[in-house]
Parts: sequence; C-alpha cells; structure tokens
Amino acid sequence: MTAALETDEAPALRFIGVAKAFAGVQALADVDFEVRGGEVHALLGENGAGKSTLMKILFGVFKHDRGDIVIGGQKNAAVADPRDALSKGIGLVAQEPAVVPQLDVAQNIFLGQRPALSYANRRQQRAAARVLLDPFAPALKETAKVGDLGMADRQIVEIARSLARGGRIIAFDEPTSSLTPAERDGLFEIIRGLKRAGKAIIYISHRMAEIQTIADRVTVLRDGRVVASGKTSDFTPDELNNLIAGRTLAQELARGASPPGDAARDEALRVEALSNARLQEVNLTLRRGEIFGLAGLVGSGRTELVRCIFGADARTNGLIFVDGKSVDVNSPRAAMQAGIALIPEDRRGQSLVQVMTVEQNFALASPGAFSWRGIIRGRARRKEIERYIEELGIRPPRPDVLVRDLSGGNQQKVVIARWLHTGARVFLFDEPTRGIDVGAKSEIHDLLRRLAARGAAVLVISSELPELLALADRIGVMRDGRLVQEIADPSGLTEDRLMRMASGELTS
Amino acid sequence: MTLNRNALDAARGMDRVNLAKRAARFDWIRRASVAMGAIALFLVFSALTPTFYQPGNLVDIMLQSSINAVIAVGMTLVVMTKGIDLSVGSIVGVSSMVAASLLHTNLWLGVGVGLAVGLACGLVNGVLIAKLKLPDFIVTLGSMSIYRGFALIYTDGKPIYGIDKTFRSTFAGTVFGAPTPVLIALAIALAAFLLVRFTTLGEQIVAVGGNEEAARLSGVDVDRVKISVYAISGVLSAVAGFILVARIGAAEPIGGNGFELQAIGAAVIGGASLFGGEGNPLGSLIGALTLGGMRNGLTLLNVPSFWQYVATGVVVILAVLADQVTRKRR
Repeated sequence: MTAALETDEAPALRFIGVAKAFAGVQALADVDFEVRGGEVHALLGENGAGKSTLMKILFGVFKHDRGDIVIGGQKNAAVADPRDALSKGIGLVAQEPAVVPQLDVAQNIFLGQRPALSYANRRQQRAAARVLLDPFAPALKETAKVGDLGMADRQIVEIARSLARGGRIIAFDEPTSSLTPAERDGLFEIIRGLKRAGKAIIYISHRMAEIQTIADRVTVLRDGRVVASGKTSDFTPDELNNLIAGRTLAQELARGASPPGDAARDEALRVEALSNARLQEVNLTLRRGEIFGLAGLVGSGRTELVRCIFGADARTNGLIFVDGKSVDVNSPRAAMQAGIALIPEDRRGQSLVQVMTVEQNFALASPGAFSWRGIIRGRARRKEIERYIEELGIRPPRPDVLVRDLSGGNQQKVVIARWLHTGARVFLFDEPTRGIDVGAKSEIHDLLRRLAARGAAVLVISSELPELLALADRIGVMRDGRLVQEIADPSGLTEDRLMRMASGELTS
Repeated sequence: MTLNRNALDAARGMDRVNLAKRAARFDWIRRASVAMGAIALFLVFSALTPTFYQPGNLVDIMLQSSINAVIAVGMTLVVMTKGIDLSVGSIVGVSSMVAASLLHTNLWLGVGVGLAVGLACGLVNGVLIAKLKLPDFIVTLGSMSIYRGFALIYTDGKPIYGIDKTFRSTFAGTVFGAPTPVLIALAIALAAFLLVRFTTLGEQIVAVGGNEEAARLSGVDVDRVKISVYAISGVLSAVAGFILVARIGAAEPIGGNGFELQAIGAAVIGGASLFGGEGNPLGSLIGALTLGGMRNGLTLLNVPSFWQYVATGVVVILAVLADQVTRKRR
C-alpha cells in the first residue's frame, strides 16, 4: 500500500546520485534524496556531513559535479542562483533569517519581486501580505518594522516571502537554535500547517527530540553519503544518533569527563561582574585541570563572553584574574601575555590566515620566540612546528603546506599548537568541533582532555549537548548575556532540561 | 582501527597536498605570466619599431620606470595589507619641494628633511587608518589633496630651479656606467623582498592582509603593522621624489601628479592582490618595467600621449581582472 503510494506520487524534489567535490575532498558522493509534497523530511548529520553542501546546491550557490536534480517532475532542474531558486518555488528559512531590518514586514515579504522602478503601492502590498500571513501567523502585523521583531517572527517573514512566490519546497536550516521552546512549538504549528497545505518541507536539525516530533521521514548523511533513509517511526533516537555519528555514542559518553573532584584544584581564571553591551555581570571561575562546558542558545552571549575575557571585545565593567592576580586584559595581546588563549568558532574567518603555511600560522602568536631582531630564525621554528605536528598528529605532516589545504580537524590542531606554544594556561574554545568530520572530532576531544590533564583550564562552548556531556566536568548555562546556571555534576542532564534552562523556562 | 583511520586521513591529506601542488603550479604559471606578459610586450614593440630594442632605449625604459618602481614597492606592501595609498604622488610633490628648498643650505639636510616629510605624511595616513579606523581609500584620497596643497602653498606654486649638482649626480647619475635610479630601485625592491620573506614584520604584513581578524586574535599588533607600511610608502615616495627632481633638474609642486595609478598598476601587474595577503616587491619591479615599456613603445609609435592614459588605465583594470578571475578558481 505504502509502496504503491510512493511510486504514484511524484516527489516535489528529487536528488539522484548527486556528487560534489571541493579541492579533492568528496563533500557529497552519490546522494539520493527526495521530498514529497505534504511531508516533513528531516536531513540529519554531523557538521561537515554534507547537509549544508546539499542545501547550497539546492539553492544554486554551488553547482553539483554529477547527478540530477528533479524539481516538480522536471529533470535537470538545477538552480542557477538563489534568485532562480525563489522563482522555482524553493524557499529557505535560515538560522539567522536574511531580512532587511529597516523595512517593514510587508516590504520584506515582497522584496525583489517587482521591477526596480515600478510604483510600490504600499496599501496593496500590505493587504497582500495580510492575506499571506493570516492562515499561519495572524498575530504578526504586516506594518511592523522587522528590526523590532524577534528571531521567530523573522523566520515567519522568510516563510511568507517564499510563499509569496508560490513556494512549494521550503527548507528549514536549524531553525530552532535561537528559539525558546515556546517559540519552537509555535514554529512547529506553522510547519504542520504548511504540510497540510501540501508543501514539501526539508528540516535540518540535530536535535533528536525535534526530529521525533515533527519529521515524517528522515535521511541521515555521513561523510557525504546517505547512510540511512526511511520513516521516522522506523528508527529509535539511539539508532539515529549512532547512524549520525558512525559509532556508538554510548562508548564515547562512557569514556566521559576526566574524574571530577581531584581535591582542591587551583583557580586559574576568575572573572567578576564582567559586563559590556552584550554581557551582564558574569561571574565565573575556571580551575586548573577542569573542562568547563558553556551551553546556551545562539545569541545568548557565550561567544561574547569568551571574546570579552580574551580582550577581543571591550568590557565596560568587571575584573579578570589569572592565577589569583588581577590582569588588565584590554586587547588580545594583553590576554595572550596573561596566558589566555581563544580558539574562535570560525577558523577560516578568525583563526587562520589561509594564504600562509602551517608553520607561519603556527608562529603567528609567538613572533618573538622565533626571531632575532625581527629576522625569522627559520631552522629553530621548523624544528618546533615539527615537534607539534608529531605530537598532535597533524596531517599531512608537513610544515610548508598552505593551511587552507588541510582538513578542518587538522586546521584546528594547528590553531591549538599555536596556543600551546605561547604557554597559555587558560584555553577558551568556541565550538571547537564545528565543521570537523567525525573521526577528527574525537581526536579534538582527546586533545582537550589532554590539555586539562596537563593542568590547563579549559572552557568549551558547544551547541551539542552530547559533546558537552562527553567533555565537561561542570556546565554553565547562559541566557541574555548572563550566566544563569552552573551545574556541578552534569551527568544526569538531558537535552530537554538544558534547553529549558537556556530559554528560561526552568530555573533550577 | 585507529591506525586505519590515521592511514586514511594521511592519504586524504596527501591527496590534498597533491592538489595543493597543482594549485601551486597554477600559481607559478600565474606569476610566470607576469614575466611572459612583459616579454610579449617587448616582442610586439620590437617588431613594430626596431628602435624599441636598442640598448640605449632599453636603458631609457629602465630609467623612466625607476621612479614608479620605487613607489610601487611601497604600494605593494600597503596593498599586501589589503590597503591602498592614493597619496603617493602628492607625497612625491611635497617632499621634493621641501628637500629642494634646503639643498642650497646643506645637501644632506635637504635629503634628511625630505625623507622626514615623506615619513610624516605616511605616518599621518597610517595613524588615521589604523587608530581611527577610517577607510584607507578616503584617508589617502583626502591626504592626496592636503599634501598637494602643502606642496603648492610652500612656494606659492612656483617651481624651484638650480638643483645642487651633487644631489643630481647622486640620484640621477651613474655608478660604473649603471644609472643610479635603476640601482636605487633595484636595491629597494630587493630589500623589500627580504623584508617580506625573512622578517616577522613581513609575515605579519601577509597575515594582516590575509586575515586581519585572525592576526589580531593571534596577538599581532595590527595597528603597528598598518602604520609601518604607510610610513614605508611615504619614505619611498620621498625617495622617488628625489630621483624625479634630480632627473629634471627642478622641483615642481605638481610633481608626481597621477603617480598613484602607475604604482598601483605596477604592484597589481607584479602579482600583488588588492584582496590582500599576496604580493612580491620584485614582481612589482617587473610590473613597473612593463608599464614603462608600454608607454615608451607607444611614444615611439607616435601614439598621442592622451591615448597613453587610456592604455595605462586599461592595463591596470585588466591586471585586477586577472587577479579576480584566478582567485575565484581557488
């Protein structure tokens, strides 16, 4: 019966054997994937598994090397660019919606739809927006300025925008990472409404509970391949988790954090009443030898906290102590001299200079150590980086390759080597495994544990709870620029509880 | 199991390295294309007019290109940090006027103060850009006008004649038969090459241009690096001004007008990327020779000088286009 149904109804979107490689790395290999009208199809996979590459091909940002894309029964319907995608009825609701904050809701919905010099009839436009919004978001005013709206309403604007162009396929890319649970439930209602209206929905997330709630079918990607596809009800959450990770997650978790409670571990970093535009009176203490996990929604101030401690953003108030001594960290240089290291989330944008070699990137933070009166001592430097390449297992084991030719995991190791060499004792990691493939991920985890075991104080920001549980001795939760919770023993924590703490629904 | 994964990872890594090698070869072709372009230009003009390849004319080309080459070396360092210095021509004017006015008092006083004026102009640019975070384009466009104004105000717009003989023979004479402007340009380009290749500052210039935020978060003193390159650009503009004055035997307040495009052109033709992080002072030397050779050849072919403006602009835009296109492939 179901089989008959599957063959009868042409899918709204179909990828057949789609492949894509970047600089010799197979990002997608032979991917088959289809979404039918009136279903929610979840696309699962770790960072770097190929989900975003697949979506970017769908929106014409990348061109696939091989395979075919069938849209609404039309073969070879590859999309030329994001504009073309909209006109073909494909819409995207991103983690951070692409809206113009200065314009109102109606203007945003119809942006780019009319010829540049045509007369924009405000009243007509607003009426049209109202008609679009009424079925699923009656409370959102079409005259509201988008800049004044929260993330959830901005997503609604994006949904309406693609509906306004006759959208039939709507992709949601981790739409809930910046939403509170109440907003999330609202979004799910909207998605169900879209489903009833026959739209094909692609839903990307790695939150298992959400997948179970909203998705009719799932497809799991790993290392650019489809490893499983089927009805959601055919899989248990554990099975999906294992499929996503390619290993038994329980094993990883069992290895767990380093044994807690080594008597009286010394304080390495303490911040008191740290405040700036995005932070409010954050108090935090990191101890030597521990890994402190930092959880929170996107935009809760986690990144801002570590940037402020590192002196990358200004602080308006508060004190920073390293080894019990007050230090005036007003620039990254000062932080570095105080023994603090920041490993930002965006390796490409904030950690590494792509046009420089592994060795040069390694030496960037310690120029004095490898030079004599400003002239580089090449041999001494080469020796030192080779030691780190060996110790951290950087591959390929060559100091002279450009850092952009390394995989994400190996790039991250180069950054870690850089900071190890500066003699840093406090390491602040912002999403250290984002965009890193599965194998390298556990290597980075091992490295963090080794750092702590050697007596460094390690802070890890992560949006993946399993990662935090696997690593952290303690977990802190941030919300609206404050550190609202500290959990001394995170072993009993569930994703749902943590989410509720992060959104403020649960306060103890 | 772990071993297997390591082996796999290593294999993947080596795959990347091979690709990188291919990319490097591609880069090499890109760089060689600069030289090949220069050679092609040489052959075309030689075919069109035999005068072009006469030794005397070739020396002329080198002489004519040397002033631009000196400025282009400074420009290259600025461009490598993803910056731009539009004020170089005006610094040529103001520093050469000040130097020329002091030459009759004392030769070295003139040279010293002239260099100091160039340095000061560059420092002002650098401080405004690095410390006050103003856009480089606007700062140097403004200071281009300011410095030119100073050059005109200084003598009320009048040129200074009667330039000291020793000064002329130092900056526009010959040493063992080799013209000193050419030697100066060579020495400066070589020094800048060594700076980029073998010093911490050189590496930090690449880092700031390649990824300013990463450099800053690695503790690099980004402001100091930026101020340094504009200061160097200012000093080298002053040196170029000396050569200009020594060659024509007079200092004119409008001297150096329009030099910025020539210098940017030489830098880009020589492989510097306006997107930052890439550049080679020795390449810029070849870039300056290419532009100089083109102008010389067009003059020999009796192409009206007005058309040379058009040709220069076209070549510079083509060079930037080539950079843009090859960049996209990566």
